[in-house]
Amino acid sequence: MHEADIHDLSDDADYAAASKQGSSSMTRNGSSKHSASSDQEDAEIVYLKDNVTIHPTQYAAERISGRLKLIKQGSSLFMTWIPYKGQSSNARLSAGDKNLYTIKALPFSEIQSIRRHTPTIGWQYVIIVSSGLAFPPLYFYSGGVREFLATIKQHVLIVRSSEDANLFLVNNFQDPLQRTLSSLELPGSLANRIPSSSGSPSDGNLENKHTSEDGHSSSMQRSNKQKQKGHDPARDISINVLEKFSLVTRFARETSQLFRESLVDGHGPNEKRRTNWASKNHQSQEMTSNDVESVPKNVPVPSDPLEFDKLSLVWGKPRQHPLGLQEWSTFLDYEGRIVDPNALKKRIFYGGVEHNLRKEVWPFLLGYYSYDSTYAEREYAVSVKKSEYEKIKYQWQNISPEQAKRFTKFRERKGLIEKDVVRTDRSLSFYDGDDNPNGMSDLLSPMEFEYEKTLRLWEVLWTHYPSEHLHLYACIAILKRHRAKIMGEQMDFDTLLKFINELSGQIDLDRILRDAEALCVCAGENGAALIPPGTPPSLPIEDSSIYYHQDDEVL
Amino acid sequence: MATTGHNNLNAKLVLLGDMGAGKSSLVLRFVKGQFLEFQESTIGAAFFSQTLAVDDVTVKFEIWDTAGQERYHSLAPMYYRGAAAAIIVYDITSADSFTRAKKWVQELQKQGNANMVMALAGNKADLEEKRKVTAEEARAYADENGLFFMETSAKTAANVNDIFHEIAKRLPRAQPTQNPAGMVLVDRPAEGARAASCCS
Repeated sequence: MHEADIHDLSDDADYAAASKQGSSSMTRNGSSKHSASSDQEDAEIVYLKDNVTIHPTQYAAERISGRLKLIKQGSSLFMTWIPYKGQSSNARLSAGDKNLYTIKALPFSEIQSIRRHTPTIGWQYVIIVSSGLAFPPLYFYSGGVREFLATIKQHVLIVRSSEDANLFLVNNFQDPLQRTLSSLELPGSLANRIPSSSGSPSDGNLENKHTSEDGHSSSMQRSNKQKQKGHDPARDISINVLEKFSLVTRFARETSQLFRESLVDGHGPNEKRRTNWASKNHQSQEMTSNDVESVPKNVPVPSDPLEFDKLSLVWGKPRQHPLGLQEWSTFLDYEGRIVDPNALKKRIFYGGVEHNLRKEVWPFLLGYYSYDSTYAEREYAVSVKKSEYEKIKYQWQNISPEQAKRFTKFRERKGLIEKDVVRTDRSLSFYDGDDNPNGMSDLLSPMEFEYEKTLRLWEVLWTHYPSEHLHLYACIAILKRHRAKIMGEQMDFDTLLKFINELSGQIDLDRILRDAEALCVCAGENGAALIPPGTPPSLPIEDSSIYYHQDDEVL
Repeated sequence: MATTGHNNLNAKLVLLGDMGAGKSSLVLRFVKGQFLEFQESTIGAAFFSQTLAVDDVTVKFEIWDTAGQERYHSLAPMYYRGAAAAIIVYDITSADSFTRAKKWVQELQKQGNANMVMALAGNKADLEEKRKVTAEEARAYADENGLFFMETSAKTAANVNDIFHEIAKRLPRAQPTQNPAGMVLVDRPAEGARAASCCS
């Protein structure tokens, strides 16, 4: 893009300025001799992308664009993201606000995972988790997520999670035994997913090594070191938790605000929203013209590609009939590959899948088969997984009672399965037969919705179309349906609890899905940006331990 | 919270305990007089109400039967919040479930209402031959922690009505009505919400 030239000049200066404006612990690296630019003799920029943007709030005017770089120094890879200076579109943000988000020389030895998000609508973005903290989503306005990952792969050990094709694990050194054991862990124990071996002890070594190798400590390393000095994991976690709480609160507040504006007021769906945007733009232009230091209009923030759709959208689209066998075959090429996975997901989102076809289609939605696999490859994959299954089964069957006594997690899980198996509802044909899936009975039991509706809801959510968090919008849609009653009767807490509990079996699924879609499309990028990083998607990843590596177009 | 009419008392009661200890079975026996050998797992929580006459007072229990699986743990505070009574259930044939019961007691002592009437129920008392937790051990624990203790069997109905009866008797009678613990939802004008978000 043409603005790249302009920023070539300001970028490194920005970096130095940002360092100076940082907290006092950061200013020590401001010695001009060792600014980032003078390190370039031994630091090589291996990737550079402009217009990588974060969305701190729902408001487009507050987005912060910047430049993302991967820098290779010695045997280490670092990542930086520096916001542009004086961007007209975020006049409302102070320099301090911007620096808050600056990523200064983050070494990859500290990064645990990178999650790629490829929403069907809107920009691709990645969420980087480092030392247990998730950075804000980085939206690639000018594309380049693939190159980003591919570049990283050339320099760092990075593997794709077998459970989630979009999750890339960095520095994952789990040994096979640990993997097997962790697969026996109860779901939801986060601590076991992130191996401690990839944590800070190794970082320390790495850092020392560099200092001695290079003979001097570069500003990048120094700022890294300083960051680590004040690094108390417990504090990080509590900050993380607090941050998430604040984000949830803000999300709730701002989305409800968003929906009120766009849906509930008397102006019709989008009238008022448009007006607000208009006045906001007007306001920021005014501010820009008074602000001498700002670089005017040099980084145009591209408009949301679906803005027009949003405005023209009146309400959720009608639901379709479920996908049948004949139509299904049109999605496959002669060797059995799914030609257009997005079209398939979209189709399933709007209509679901006929029951007898679920056995064939669900494995794709659930990531068991990759969309570009052939019939033959799938057959092979199944045989591999079968033998793995047998191996694991053999392992747990051979845990002696003595071993089990010391192995609490194993005991707990075994007890859980034993209880669940006898408690599955035999009146449902689904539980007949020997292939009854264990440990899922509470989820499979048709409580909230009828049986068929439950399966429909699942497959629709699994498509992650139009959002991987559609379940949140579905919840909002349900509440919205009953808004008048909940607000009107001024329910106290227990009454509200009872009321929500009694909605079981009373929810019109198609209607809720339609509303959820409309809410989601209407909230658009702004809504997505408000969902705190790390919020589990509709199809959550319970266990990211790796048994096998999928082939990947990037890796 | 227990609230009184003239001779009526409404009391929120919550059942907590390990999965498969028999919480739902106890409630089902108490409310409907039924027992299912393989009671389905509870999802989230189930609500029941049942009225008992104790002396000259009618006690209406509003019962929240919670799901025992660990994955639902985070929902529990919603259900024990403001409860006048709790029954912590374990399975006498499972030492792990007794450990879990103690954890629930601790959590209630920390987070729950200080005047809460707490009962410890050692359920499945009919399975004497598989017993792993002695009544003595449980009673000693209950005494130490100010709970009252009964061994129950939802299957044979032993002590089921009794435990609810005992709770009803122990509920404080003349408790002043407290503010309902809850949030007040107000339909605020949109501008107010926006102003608030600017400062955050």
